[in-house]
Amino acid sequence: MQIYLPIAELPVNMFVIFGMGGAVGFLSGLFGIGGGFLLTPLLIFAGIPPAVSVATVTTQVVASSASGVVSYWRRKMIDFKLGMMLFAGGLVGSGLGVLLFGVLQSLGQLDVVISLSYVVFLGTIGSLMLVESLRAIRRHREGDVTAVKRPEHSRWIYRLPFRVRFHQSKLYISVIPVLGLGASIGFLGSVLGIGGGFMMVPALIYILRVPTNVVIGTSLLQILFTMAAATIFHSVGTQTVDIVLAITLMIGGVIGAQFGARMGQQLRGDHLRLLLALLVLAVGLRFAVDLLWMPSDLYSIAIKKGGGV
Amino acid sequence: MKKILSATLFAFVALFTAPASAEELVTSLSADMVSIQSNFTGTKIVIFGQVGRDVHTIGRPGKYDLAITVEGQKHDITTRRKARLAGVWVNRYYETFTHVPTFYAVATTRPVAELANRNTLDELQLGLNHINLAVTGRSHVPLSDRDDFRRAFLRLRQEQGLYIEQERSIEFLTDTMFRTTVGLPANIPVGNYTVRSFLFQDGSLISKTQAPLRVAKSGFEQITYDMANRQPLLYGVIAVAIAMLTGWFAGVIFRKD
Repeated sequence: MQIYLPIAELPVNMFVIFGMGGAVGFLSGLFGIGGGFLLTPLLIFAGIPPAVSVATVTTQVVASSASGVVSYWRRKMIDFKLGMMLFAGGLVGSGLGVLLFGVLQSLGQLDVVISLSYVVFLGTIGSLMLVESLRAIRRHREGDVTAVKRPEHSRWIYRLPFRVRFHQSKLYISVIPVLGLGASIGFLGSVLGIGGGFMMVPALIYILRVPTNVVIGTSLLQILFTMAAATIFHSVGTQTVDIVLAITLMIGGVIGAQFGARMGQQLRGDHLRLLLALLVLAVGLRFAVDLLWMPSDLYSIAIKKGGGV
Repeated sequence: MKKILSATLFAFVALFTAPASAEELVTSLSADMVSIQSNFTGTKIVIFGQVGRDVHTIGRPGKYDLAITVEGQKHDITTRRKARLAGVWVNRYYETFTHVPTFYAVATTRPVAELANRNTLDELQLGLNHINLAVTGRSHVPLSDRDDFRRAFLRLRQEQGLYIEQERSIEFLTDTMFRTTVGLPANIPVGNYTVRSFLFQDGSLISKTQAPLRVAKSGFEQITYDMANRQPLLYGVIAVAIAMLTGWFAGVIFRKD
């Protein structure tokens, strides 16, 4: 069934989009991620203009993280104060991100910046996760049951001023790294159309030393608010949020996520992380190939002003 | 049904055609408004007409030739070319063509080049090779490369289905009645279009007509688009509200405990 998208200004097959939302939703439920980094490239690949893809995925991430927040909230596994503090940083970051997005779009360099950033971030994080999960699997095989050695406290973070107490996370740390982290991920999120959960979770664990039981819930809360803000920024700044596309994606997404979450409970954590690492690396690699190989068509067209095409 | 409709319209056209001087060209469109709704996947418009000849005109030997163009609104359109920069392929060079139609279709009775001489075709902007592709003053592309950009522009527009050349697609139903069909693709830009018809005989233009055609979103598509542009803040807030509700709803429906 073809449906005409009012903002993207082209018809798409509704079931294809629904299926993409469902497949990415399944993976996001399986791995506890937003899935934006998979969905944005898929949409671009399906012929949706990059600007519309990026902006619309932020709306889809709001839906998928909202459904996660509801369940973590019920289990009281969210540090609201920390989440809101990260969000405050995220607000500034995503505002700047949307500004940069507009500038890059008018310069015609949006695609290359998105591709390059994907290569760098997915490549780095995918490799780190791959190494970590392989180590965990090896430990498991050798029957090593001792707890994973956690990295030393990053001393300099604890020496920074403006310290605040976060009761739920049992932390007493400076607000500077908290705001900075929120801002960086909000910035990347609005430029790349990703929630950044796959970066936020390790950062909260290894940089801020947040206890693991509140990490995912808090990260989801921050993503929910940051992406909600990014949706509004994109609506006002670039007018590229396609609500019809977003709704189709989110319905597929939330259904897929539930099945994914069920399957995820039957898999071992280190195996899950290994699969996710491979997935992240594969997406990064795909972008690297596009950048390095000579494109089949050197030319492309962009209209300067107005809608259409 | 379609036939009856065209016949009726045709009769209507013929009836109100006051004979003026020499050959007169009369054309009509199957619709002067194309509305884009959520089920829009492209459409076709039929253009038909008659070459009217009043009694005082001495029948000239030679056959008539016709060309009909459907043109979209004019915009500045940028064509970019990728080049390698530090090992990575990026958009490096660009050329902006000013005031070019967003959509251009031309239907003719015979190959465009045979209709008239080059100057006439250039003047009328008739045929893809005769569209005026003027560049902006601040172009950094060397003169020798500009034709490459022009060719790439025309090729890409044709690949997107937005520039169409259909030679020999106008059919004469009788000696003086003709008809052609122009397909409008699903990705057609919205705006005010112009349908121009030209009547040639032995290489010279003897008559022409012009008719407006409007392509616009309607219903839900229109409301959504207007809102996104006129009340972006409200649009964003609604998008977020829908997303949060969908997420919350899914969380409640699939609740396990």
